[in-house]
Amino acid sequence: MALLVLDNIAKVYEAVGETIRAVGGVSLAVEKGEFISIVGHSGSGKTTLLSIIGGLCRPTSGSILYNDSDIGALDSDGLAKYRAERIGFMFQFASLLPVLTAKENLMLPLLFQGARDRSAKGDGEQKAEELLRRVGLADKINAYPAQLSGGQQRRVAIARAFMNDPEIILADEPTGDLDEQTEEDMMRFFQAMNREQGVTFIMVTHNRDLASRASRQFSMTHGAHEELARA
Amino acid sequence: MKNRFSLFSFALKNIRRKAVRSTMLASAIMLLTASIVFAVSFITRVHSGISLMTSRLGADIMVVPTGSRGAAEEVLLENKVKSFYMDGSVLDRVRNIEGVEEVTAQTYLVTLSALCCSVPESIVVAFDQKSDFIVRPWLTEKLGRPLKKGEAIVGHESAFNITVGLVEIDSMLFGNVFRMVGVLDKTGTGLDNAIFISDENITDILRSGTAGIKPGQVSIAFVKVRKGYDPKLVANAVENNILEADAVMRKDIGKRIIQTLRDVSGIFTAAVVLAALLSGFLAWTVFSAVANERAREVGIMRAIGARESDVVRLFLWEVFLIGIAGSVLGIIGGTALSVMLARSFILLKDLAGDLGIAVRALIAVAGLIGGVAVCVIGALSPLRRIKKLEPLGAMKEA
Repeated sequence: MALLVLDNIAKVYEAVGETIRAVGGVSLAVEKGEFISIVGHSGSGKTTLLSIIGGLCRPTSGSILYNDSDIGALDSDGLAKYRAERIGFMFQFASLLPVLTAKENLMLPLLFQGARDRSAKGDGEQKAEELLRRVGLADKINAYPAQLSGGQQRRVAIARAFMNDPEIILADEPTGDLDEQTEEDMMRFFQAMNREQGVTFIMVTHNRDLASRASRQFSMTHGAHEELARA
Repeated sequence: MKNRFSLFSFALKNIRRKAVRSTMLASAIMLLTASIVFAVSFITRVHSGISLMTSRLGADIMVVPTGSRGAAEEVLLENKVKSFYMDGSVLDRVRNIEGVEEVTAQTYLVTLSALCCSVPESIVVAFDQKSDFIVRPWLTEKLGRPLKKGEAIVGHESAFNITVGLVEIDSMLFGNVFRMVGVLDKTGTGLDNAIFISDENITDILRSGTAGIKPGQVSIAFVKVRKGYDPKLVANAVENNILEADAVMRKDIGKRIIQTLRDVSGIFTAAVVLAALLSGFLAWTVFSAVANERAREVGIMRAIGARESDVVRLFLWEVFLIGIAGSVLGIIGGTALSVMLARSFILLKDLAGDLGIAVRALIAVAGLIGGVAVCVIGALSPLRRIKKLEPLGAMKEA
């Protein structure tokens, strides 16, 4: 049974005087533990597709099944629970909260999970520190985002995506601000998490070299997708 | 100590982020709460002072010389030193009115002249011990026997001035030496500042010619009404039958002050409403700005698993923390103001009694609820907007 099944997903935006078809009829089955990359130009619908899979927005038509459950049928709280327990997001923009330290930013998803289920995760401090160590920021645990470089902030956000032990990581240009070496380190980290913990990755990138290291590669053009390669 | 990361600590950090803005809002709430606490303390104090006094006196009707109602209230309520007299024959005429059960008289003598008396300016109350039902309960409690001729007992507040306390002293009153045999407990009435003597002493005082009173005169008659009789009808009958006297019902004692208080209350209410509107508007402005500035953050929080209610709870913590901080400071300020102004505000200074700790605590709770409620109400509309932000839209919006 596939972990995630997208059936003819479409997303249409009504702009002033025109209709924009961001995603048009995407059908896809994702198995647990797959590492999928999606390449495509800006505006091709990659980010919108990730948002739909992550329950951040609803498709105009089509359905998404997660473990055979229809995500489209979930209400706002149900989607929040789905995101909190199943999904890890890496956004393409700086997504840290400025008043929180690096460690607190990591603990934020657990704070919300804890509010939902007090016995769920404990305070997660050790886990946050361990993840920060794994992304090379052991000495920045108590630093605020303003005290970090753009690349360091990006790595904190990457670490945060793993805090809730997600089944699926939705990564939108996750290594965009990183230098070559750090980009390589992060890619190895992703592959390790994919291999060791069976985390499923759906990663959007412009970088075709990075994309080629995924087990399946897709390209998107004008909202339509095409499978390029399968390992 | 290790700081545990929680919605509370998160809210606190957000408040600190815009310290000046948060302080401004807390200050507005502080002023609002201070005005609520001061106004309620003031009004409650006046009401409780009057009600304490009327209940302690234990009379249903007070009969005074025509036109002396205000002066009588000033003596009984406001600790003022005043004298007013009517002929003692009034007492028998009052006793003959249907519905009257008991009548007792008091005569107020003012110790104005330094030549007459060795005590500071105060009221000497001469009362008839046989018919008295006003002072007797206080006297029994303290002295355990009636006053003898040549003896005086002083009100609680006068004790300090006359330096009566552990030892009995002799003082000169209207050319006669009186032995001060004790101090009454605090009664909460204006008579706490008086010196009480038996009316057997009046003849000697008249002989000295220093009291400014004619033989047979009394100041005030206190009346108890028989069960089943309407005090209002009895009071009307007194006024209709005795033209030289006014009758004041227990519930009307202090009416003049209550009327003044009503005007003051109106001003207080207007000030509090204005302060509440301004604070509410400021809370709305501050949290509208917060909603705009932090839309992206809300989007991120929602994306990583926060429910609408989690986001609302975080912002409510912020609203509550600012509201509580402002309110607590306001309670302290308002209470301090009411205590300080009580010393200089004529209406409060002269009125007997003070608010107890329980009443002050209740007023503080009312102030806290009022201050926090205004802050919450002002922030409600922006909070509703924050709650309804769609995660993706919110992240793109900023």
